[in-house]
Amino acid sequence: MNEALELLANPWIHGFVFGAVIVTALMSVTAYITWFERKFAARLHSRMGPTMVGPKGLLQPIADGLKMIQKEDIVPRDADRLLFNAAPAITLFFALAVAAVIPFSPGLLASNLDIGVLYALAVSGLMGFPVWVGAWASNNKYALFGGMRAVAQAISYEIPMVLSALVPVVLAGSLSIGQIVEYQIEHGWFAFWPPGPGIFAFVLFMLTALAEGNRIPFDIPEAESELVAGPTTEYTGIKFGLFASAEYIHSLLASALGAALFLGGWDGPFGIPVFWMLLKTCMLFVGVTWIRWTLLRFRSDQLMALCWVYLVPGALGLLLITGLYVHVRG
Amino acid sequence: MGYFIATVDSLWTTFKQALREPTTVNYPFEQRERAPRIRASFALTHDANGEENCIGCKKCENVCPSEVITVVAGKRTSPVTNKGRGYADDFTLNLQACIICELCVQVCPTDAIIMTQEQEKPTFSREGLTLTMDKLYANEKQKRWAWANATVLWDQQDPERGAEKKEEPSAETTSSEGAS
Repeated sequence: MNEALELLANPWIHGFVFGAVIVTALMSVTAYITWFERKFAARLHSRMGPTMVGPKGLLQPIADGLKMIQKEDIVPRDADRLLFNAAPAITLFFALAVAAVIPFSPGLLASNLDIGVLYALAVSGLMGFPVWVGAWASNNKYALFGGMRAVAQAISYEIPMVLSALVPVVLAGSLSIGQIVEYQIEHGWFAFWPPGPGIFAFVLFMLTALAEGNRIPFDIPEAESELVAGPTTEYTGIKFGLFASAEYIHSLLASALGAALFLGGWDGPFGIPVFWMLLKTCMLFVGVTWIRWTLLRFRSDQLMALCWVYLVPGALGLLLITGLYVHVRG
Repeated sequence: MGYFIATVDSLWTTFKQALREPTTVNYPFEQRERAPRIRASFALTHDANGEENCIGCKKCENVCPSEVITVVAGKRTSPVTNKGRGYADDFTLNLQACIICELCVQVCPTDAIIMTQEQEKPTFSREGLTLTMDKLYANEKQKRWAWANATVLWDQQDPERGAEKKEEPSAETTSSEGAS
């Protein structure tokens, strides 16, 4: 037992073991997240949702997965085979890589990076580019349009996202997510204390996370009514499945990041810390799903106007107020 | 600001909706009560003596706008009356392309084809929605009949249809009197 613990102290082995645990958990949770989303969306629409496969449709994710794997894997004749095949895997890799720095509890995190916030934002920002690679490699005009929009959106919304994530960084004086959470446990959650910039930055962060994850109302790259399926137009079977699960994982981890940065992470009145972290993540994800199934899609220029005219100046203002507050506090 | 209010309002609407029971039911395992005059599927009928009503006149086949009815006409001696009469040797109705216009019911001279209130169950194969003669005669026993058949519809359209020939001259005289 002690030898095993000593082995775990080695950062490589620690990272490998916890990474494997978190990635496995995340993939299975993502499968069931799709079931939850379909059920929840059905209730919002006053429908019943999946009912046929298993009790209450609970085996639906497994059926979906089997379906994805069984479908014919089509590569268009004019596509760039190498990039076309690599893009879904790279997208999923970047989506999962964010999980490395998210602290689910004081002990349960793969790597306690000093620059955790920077790493998480950078890696999740990179997710837009393999999507573009896949869209370009598809050699299809709809995919190309979708990919262009995805990259434009990713680049634009990266800025307000980073600026809003800087608010807790400035308040806590640290770029490590673990230290930010510990600061919140001591001084109160940033979403509520100090009152003012925290809650706005939280809303802004979740909004930009929606846009980064290409979720409705910001799913302009996908835009079924205009672009078939955007960057994933030419993708079939499990490759499409990888893109779809990458999107879900991205949303889920953005919710987890929001919970850690603004809602005190694993802080809770009683019980095990990981429960509170997961509860907060789930609540945020429910909110994201709720928004997705209620609102309509923005137009492309409205999206850009929202970002550059309102969100970026707003985020800069918030950062200024936070800086002044920290300066006055001393 | 208007956009913001509208956004919050729509979120509130869907939230209220989520707390309610779903309005849809788990079809086809559960079915809601249907309107009393619903017409959904077809059946072929027998008369009071247990003889098939269909005489194989092919009127329904000719009137069908989507051409989904196929009748193979035949002539046999009736086991009930011991007289020769027409029969449908085969009768097929492809429900997949049927537009449920009820014209076949309206033209039927012997009230042989009627509609039923209960739908066919969804199936996994095309053949499942092709109503063969066996299925149509089985539907007569298994499914509730819709309110109408040809006689009922004709009577509604023209209540004095039976007395038509007798009253024809008098109708002519009244009209000519009115003209003069």
